Amino acid sequence: MLVHDRFARWTVWGLFAALVLPLFLLPLGVIAAAAFSTSWSGVLPSGPTLDNFAGVTRGGSLEALRVSAVTAAVASLLALTAGTWAALVATSLRRRGRAVLDALFMLPVAVPTVVVGLALLVAFSRPPILLNGTQAIVVIAHTVLVTAFAYQSVSAALDRLDPVYSQVAASLGAKPARVLLQVRLPLLLPALGAAAGLCFALSMGELSATMMLYPPDWMPLPVRIFAATDRGALFSGAASALVLMATTLVVLLLLSRVRTRASFR
Amino acid sequence: MTAHPAPTADAPPAAHAPEPPADPVPGRAPRRLPVWVWAVPPVALLAAVFLYPLALVAAESVAAPGGGLTLAHHADVLGSESFRSALGTTVFVAVTSTAGCLVLGFLLALVVAFVPFPGSGATARFIDTYLSFPSFLITLALLFVYGTVGMANGMWTDLTGAESGPFRFLATPWGVILAEITYFTPFVMRPLLAAFGQLDTAQLEVASSLGARPLRVVREVILPEARPALVAGGALVLVLCLNEFAIVLFTGAKDVVTLPMLVYQAAILRSDYTTACVVATVNAALSVSLYLVYRAATARLSSDGGRRARA
Amino acid sequence: MGIRFDHVSVAYGDTVVLDDLDLTVDPGGFTALLGPSGSGKTTALRAVAGFVRPASGRVLIGGRDVTDLPPYARGVGMVVQSYALFPHMRVDQNVAFGLRAQGVPRREVAGRVEEALGMTGMADYARRHPRELSGGQQQRVAISRALAIRPRVLLLDEPLSALDAQLRSDMLAELARLHRELPDVTVLYVTHDQSEALTLADRVAVLDRARLREHGTPRELYGRPRAAFTARFVGGANLLPARLTGGRVHCLGAVLDADPADLPPGASDGDDLRVCLRPHRVALGEAEHTLEGVVSDVQWRGSTHRVTALVGGHPVTAELRETPAPPEPGSTVTLGFTRRDAVLLTPEEAS
Repeated sequence: MLVHDRFARWTVWGLFAALVLPLFLLPLGVIAAAAFSTSWSGVLPSGPTLDNFAGVTRGGSLEALRVSAVTAAVASLLALTAGTWAALVATSLRRRGRAVLDALFMLPVAVPTVVVGLALLVAFSRPPILLNGTQAIVVIAHTVLVTAFAYQSVSAALDRLDPVYSQVAASLGAKPARVLLQVRLPLLLPALGAAAGLCFALSMGELSATMMLYPPDWMPLPVRIFAATDRGALFSGAASALVLMATTLVVLLLLSRVRTRASFR
Repeated sequence: MTAHPAPTADAPPAAHAPEPPADPVPGRAPRRLPVWVWAVPPVALLAAVFLYPLALVAAESVAAPGGGLTLAHHADVLGSESFRSALGTTVFVAVTSTAGCLVLGFLLALVVAFVPFPGSGATARFIDTYLSFPSFLITLALLFVYGTVGMANGMWTDLTGAESGPFRFLATPWGVILAEITYFTPFVMRPLLAAFGQLDTAQLEVASSLGARPLRVVREVILPEARPALVAGGALVLVLCLNEFAIVLFTGAKDVVTLPMLVYQAAILRSDYTTACVVATVNAALSVSLYLVYRAATARLSSDGGRRARA
Repeated sequence: MGIRFDHVSVAYGDTVVLDDLDLTVDPGGFTALLGPSGSGKTTALRAVAGFVRPASGRVLIGGRDVTDLPPYARGVGMVVQSYALFPHMRVDQNVAFGLRAQGVPRREVAGRVEEALGMTGMADYARRHPRELSGGQQQRVAISRALAIRPRVLLLDEPLSALDAQLRSDMLAELARLHRELPDVTVLYVTHDQSEALTLADRVAVLDRARLREHGTPRELYGRPRAAFTARFVGGANLLPARLTGGRVHCLGAVLDADPADLPPGASDGDDLRVCLRPHRVALGEAEHTLEGVVSDVQWRGSTHRVTALVGGHPVTAELRETPAPPEPGSTVTLGFTRRDAVLLTPEEAS
């Protein structure tokens, strides 16, 4: 379209490959390769092994994966509920009210995650509510951090939703609650699926706020990966990271399957 | 049936009698709650777990030991060498990373949108999936590629027989910058690809048929269209880079201390909550004000898009 | 149940989209709201459905003030241009939606769904999903869904606009049949297509720029329009400049008698008027009244020739049936019409 000369086109593609391969493909490939290796002192890793995964299947990493998955699932569910609720209210408010809700619910994106962690630590280490050192504080932190994304996805989907469906439903005698449950939410299902996937993925990889808050009995997988690399166990760290990515991808895949089914129905 | 033309005041309609008189009381809708009432539960929740804690951090940073307000903590921290150097590092890393993301994202989006090849769409989606992965994975990977015993240095020692390789930048701000460019470039590509999708390709064809060289087309046709998306994407990336912690934590470099790192060190490693709160307040204020710029840019972007869609 | 707009005005901010509409639709009637886009016709319909709140005035259904009633409590059926079938429900579930919402006993629902689908010939498609149906079939389901709740008032918002020409004519016949079979249902039909309005409705309300311009039977509006806009919008017309002088109307050289009953209300000597002539009522050659002009354009349209001549600088169009030798462009022609076919109107106000 833009470059018509054949030679120039191949040059552009060559440049594209020269940027994408080392910057985007190489990191993932390296982690995958390292996960199955014992040392890396040359061009390629050496000492192929599955031992790095031993820690994952037996020891604490499996528990950490479970902690991460539970945290992510609960936080996503809470965030989706709060975010959807707020987005639904926002669309039925006037311009000013909507701007206020938008600003409030998008604010957690702007505030540094470490500061969110610190804030929860400061707030819940004192009365009236003491949550410091509990599992709940980790879940709350994750919920706060991903609610903005749930709110944003659902708001965008609501903006695209043709109001005529709700109007026809209302003209048929359906009260607002019925319109919401039987018409609007089903029509939003694909967007809710996408939002759930986003929240889950973000929560699975959250490290910054978690580092400030996690209690010893609730250590999510990213913290464990950091602990491993920090003490020099890079290869088992890579294995855990691979497991983390794979779990995230599987959940995303499952959710996108729900999504396509919902939109094709 | 007959439908009447609008009756005038002095000529009342004749055939209007059979309809029953208006019945104002039964059948009226029950008094409904105003809509904003429904906003109370989620906002209250947000206030409890986010706004209130944030306010406490701000309050803590100005709390005098015996009660009352003081700016002494701010003066102490803001005057300290460690804070100034952290602020400098944070801004340098964030600005450089953002510039890198903008250049890289623009180039890649340009190729995907206007010089497509089989699989270019898939490549764009692949880059986009990076957003689903935690940022520290990039740093972890870079440790294997450019670390002291990694791939690049290994290649060097194999080739030259030297004791160690020359790649030592991971522990410097440049290591953080490289990781941040990789991780945040998708945030620039997304709005750019959306903007390029709206660009009428006939415009490009007309421009090249008039004899404009590709670079000229990029400069005079594509770049003006892309500018709002670049501003929006750039502002968002700048905020995210200012806030990024995991990438910095994973490099493990002692001399790369950004503001979020300073917060972490003060609160967790030294249990100095007052300092942590001061730094956190400054960091948050910086990011939130930049974020407001981003919101303004995207608001203009979407109203621009709306105007174009109506035209 | 009748519908009454009692001086209804609707505004968005400072923009008045419906200005003081005063209109009554009697029970069982079929009234079309006809007008170009932006005329306020859809706003009027939405005011009946309850989706816009009038800035002033009242909306009454069956004599009851529904202005403050939420949409779900109004008991009107509605069919929209985009059909708006719920994509996640089967056809029968779509039709049952309103029945369930209104609390119809469960055992009656299936029968009523079948009955409603039967009315539009869609009973065989009950288990399909909307995306498996054509546009015309989807519109039939949408009509069934609206009729299933046995509304006393049916609102149709450009229901045929999304259909192609053949389907549109089929659906037109279908709607006419439904109206005959359901004489108790009052229908308000919004359209920008004058042929739909003239075919289906027994009353047509013509709207333009947020105001009601004229209201009457299709025959009245076509034969004896009282507003220049109506004459132009309904059926197309020549609107020739004229002046009332000494009790007679002078129009491009022709002089017409003007019985006081024929004059627009309020017209007095010296006023500018318009003479409305339907193109198919203008013929070539001598007649009761004639206009002399130079042919500027001739179009062959199959069954007719459309001849346009400039009479004193004004184009006058004649629709000629089966003319063996139409006049050549540039030739001088005599255009004839009878007094009976000329309608006197006040000039249109400038937009």
